[in-house]
Amino acid sequence: MPLKTLIPLLIATPGALFLALSFLWLLGGGVTERVMARITKVTYLFLLLLVIMIGWRMKAEGLHSVRVMLGDWFTVGHYGYPLPLLIDRLSLPLVGMTVVLAGIVGSFSIRYLHRDPGFYRFFLLLHLFTFGALLIFIAESLDLLIVGWETVAITSVLLVGFFQYRPEPVRNALWVFASYRVADLFLLLAIFLAHHWFDTTSWTGMLSGEWPSCQSQLHGTQGTIVAALLVIAAGGKSSQGPFCGWLPRAMEGPTPSSAVFYGAISIHAGAYLLLRIEPLIHQSWGSRSLVIIIGLATAFLGTLVHRTSADAKTSLAYAAQTQIGLIFAEIGFGWTTFALIHLVSHAMLRTLQFLRTPSMLRDYHRVHSAAGGKLSPTGSQYESLLPSSVQLWLYRLALGRGFYDAIVERWIVAPVQAVARWLAIFEPTAPAKKKL
Amino acid sequence: MLHLSLPYLTIALASLLGGVLASWKSARPRRTAVAAALLAFISFLAAAHEADGRSLHDPLLPCFLADGLNAVPMAFYAALTLIVLVLAPRRDAAAQAPAGMLLISLSIQVAYAAAGWVPMVLGWWLSCLPFALGMFGDQRETRLTSGIRLASCLALTAAVLSATFFAEYGTLSVLFVTLAVVLRKGLFPLHAGVVQAFECGPLLPKALLFNGHLGVVLVARTQVASLSESAHHAFEFLSLAAVATVGIASLRAFAESKPRRLLAFLCISQASFMLAGITTANAEGITGALTHWLVVAAASTGLICIVRALEVRVSSTEDPLMHLGLAAKAPRLATFFLICGLALVGLPGTLGYCAEELIFHGMLQNHLIAGIVLLVATVFNAINLLRLYNTLFLGVLPKHVINIPDALPRERWPLTACILFLVLGGLMPRVVIGWRSDAADSIEKAVHAVSGH
Repeated sequence: MPLKTLIPLLIATPGALFLALSFLWLLGGGVTERVMARITKVTYLFLLLLVIMIGWRMKAEGLHSVRVMLGDWFTVGHYGYPLPLLIDRLSLPLVGMTVVLAGIVGSFSIRYLHRDPGFYRFFLLLHLFTFGALLIFIAESLDLLIVGWETVAITSVLLVGFFQYRPEPVRNALWVFASYRVADLFLLLAIFLAHHWFDTTSWTGMLSGEWPSCQSQLHGTQGTIVAALLVIAAGGKSSQGPFCGWLPRAMEGPTPSSAVFYGAISIHAGAYLLLRIEPLIHQSWGSRSLVIIIGLATAFLGTLVHRTSADAKTSLAYAAQTQIGLIFAEIGFGWTTFALIHLVSHAMLRTLQFLRTPSMLRDYHRVHSAAGGKLSPTGSQYESLLPSSVQLWLYRLALGRGFYDAIVERWIVAPVQAVARWLAIFEPTAPAKKKL
Repeated sequence: MLHLSLPYLTIALASLLGGVLASWKSARPRRTAVAAALLAFISFLAAAHEADGRSLHDPLLPCFLADGLNAVPMAFYAALTLIVLVLAPRRDAAAQAPAGMLLISLSIQVAYAAAGWVPMVLGWWLSCLPFALGMFGDQRETRLTSGIRLASCLALTAAVLSATFFAEYGTLSVLFVTLAVVLRKGLFPLHAGVVQAFECGPLLPKALLFNGHLGVVLVARTQVASLSESAHHAFEFLSLAAVATVGIASLRAFAESKPRRLLAFLCISQASFMLAGITTANAEGITGALTHWLVVAAASTGLICIVRALEVRVSSTEDPLMHLGLAAKAPRLATFFLICGLALVGLPGTLGYCAEELIFHGMLQNHLIAGIVLLVATVFNAINLLRLYNTLFLGVLPKHVINIPDALPRERWPLTACILFLVLGGLMPRVVIGWRSDAADSIEKAVHAVSGH
């Protein structure tokens, strides 16, 4: 089978499965847990086989990259929405990672969510997520990347609110969605400005050469503005900088979804975008500094909060945020290959940690009892080297999680709601309504 | 003058009129109305199929025609009428209500099919009749709502009269047309009429009336008629007014917690996208607007019908302090709601995304800042949609909601049809965009002929 068939098939499989299962359910049908488990396992094995075939064919034919043009999604006048796909040395490892980790999490979830009322819903969303994530990594243009980007976002939000009968996940899902949408606004702006100023959003139009030795083709202030907008959008997806508050709230979802989204794949999509546009970032010191500052500042705050978090999943979330902050900084410094290795290994490790979380505490207590209650405490902490006043100040900062929520509530949410309430002056009050 | 091979438009309009008269006193008004709506749908579909972008007059009533602009919307609107009649809860489909809904449908279709200004004015006035006759029982609309609708009809009538008798004062006619559009579309600051219509009146007839989008039809017809340079300036004003409405409605919704009002702001904001797009005067914007017309009609009808279905199930959805948690009992209605809503706000993979993408491109070519306002409004609308979804479907189920049915078969199939249109249209947008491209081309050419570039 040629590569030009294999690559579209890789993306289409989970998407088609999602559509088929969704419509079956909407019309009143459905499949049993056992059938869903088998479908999931077979699908991910098939996807893995496709990835292996793609990698093997590329190696055998000595190809560093493969571009597939699927034509235009739609055209109007002179404007067309092309559907180009790309697999190269950056996207192939991430595609492989997505298929393997989503498959592992799917397999794990079959037992973890056994007899859960949301079993069917979870697997539908997992297939949709896989489709979105693969599209992000295989898209050859920003136009197509945003399709996967937003698909992953809505899937993520629906899984944060998975336990819909509790108020906290519902509230947090809305917060996560709002953060994603605000960050997506920067991506949309970057796309439309790139179209407006440079008439392109494809990687080949924006960058020349092959990753990692490609060069930027968007120059001047306008290129810097596009790069800065993309950096902020990437920060939103990876919970960095001004968007660092949503990740701990996203831990309300079931553990397997936390693993696949916030330990493994979704959280790294922002870092992937930065790796892809790295030449664009490096052409101006402004965007390069922005990436480094965002990364290091988030890593610093993340490591502090991680040390004071009372529950395991939140602690892991901040640990993941810290590592991704470091990956951002590495990309800012231009260490792209190192950053890619860091990204893949971090995703693997963090998935393992998230999946291990539910049984970890139970195991700890068992070992603790077996040792007669004499397990030694953990080793010394580096912060103990700091003066005690600084330690106290940092402790307060960490306990308040950088006072992020308070700042957002006071300086963003409250003013927006005040303006919205003020606009009501244009609307006369409706008379009291009869019960219908 | 070319004609349709059969009087499809006469058959369709007559079947709607016959349906109104037959179901008015019928013992089974819903069945009679559905049969009439089905016949009208088939006739409009046949007319659209035969017209295929050409302008064909009805052989019996030559004052009606099917062309690139109206043929698809007529068939689509007939389908929506059918969906609303089937979906309507029993209490909303009793007595004269089905006849009222058919009368609204008839008025909109008369305005769509009008080959001249007189039948269009007739359609606008007819749309006031069902509410004036009190055909929806004790579900009365507010004075503000009916007043604004009446004023829009008066403005259109004045525009036609001034164009006929005072042709030398072309600007006067344009002024009245602009006023009629602003009133009918509920552009800021006159959006309060639409909000109150959603909040206080009968919801399903309002869905039909709202989705007629007669303001957009009027703008499109006026553009094709290519009036004058002053009309060109008026459309620029309308474009900016529409962008302002998109932005302000999306922002205003943040202060709302009542489901009906929140839904009203969402619909106003998204519907104003159409007007913003159609007045961009470029192919992308106009095609996007004409496609968005179908998206808003399908998605908002789905949303409104689901909200109404929930209202009759739980007696009230209006406690802003609690989440209703209805997804636990009605997961399919929740899913239908979410998909319709996400299509309305332009989620990738749905037709709404393609339509909004085209409108953004069209708008950014003309006004960069206006394009950015539209982008910001899309973000706000998406957040407000999720707020509405959370309020209705997520959270703890109230104690008084013991057992409510999920989507009934008569609700499931029409809603599935809406979803199929929005999702398959999103996966294969070329088909739907192709339906609208002829009309977009003719509008673009007419506008460019006036502006001289």
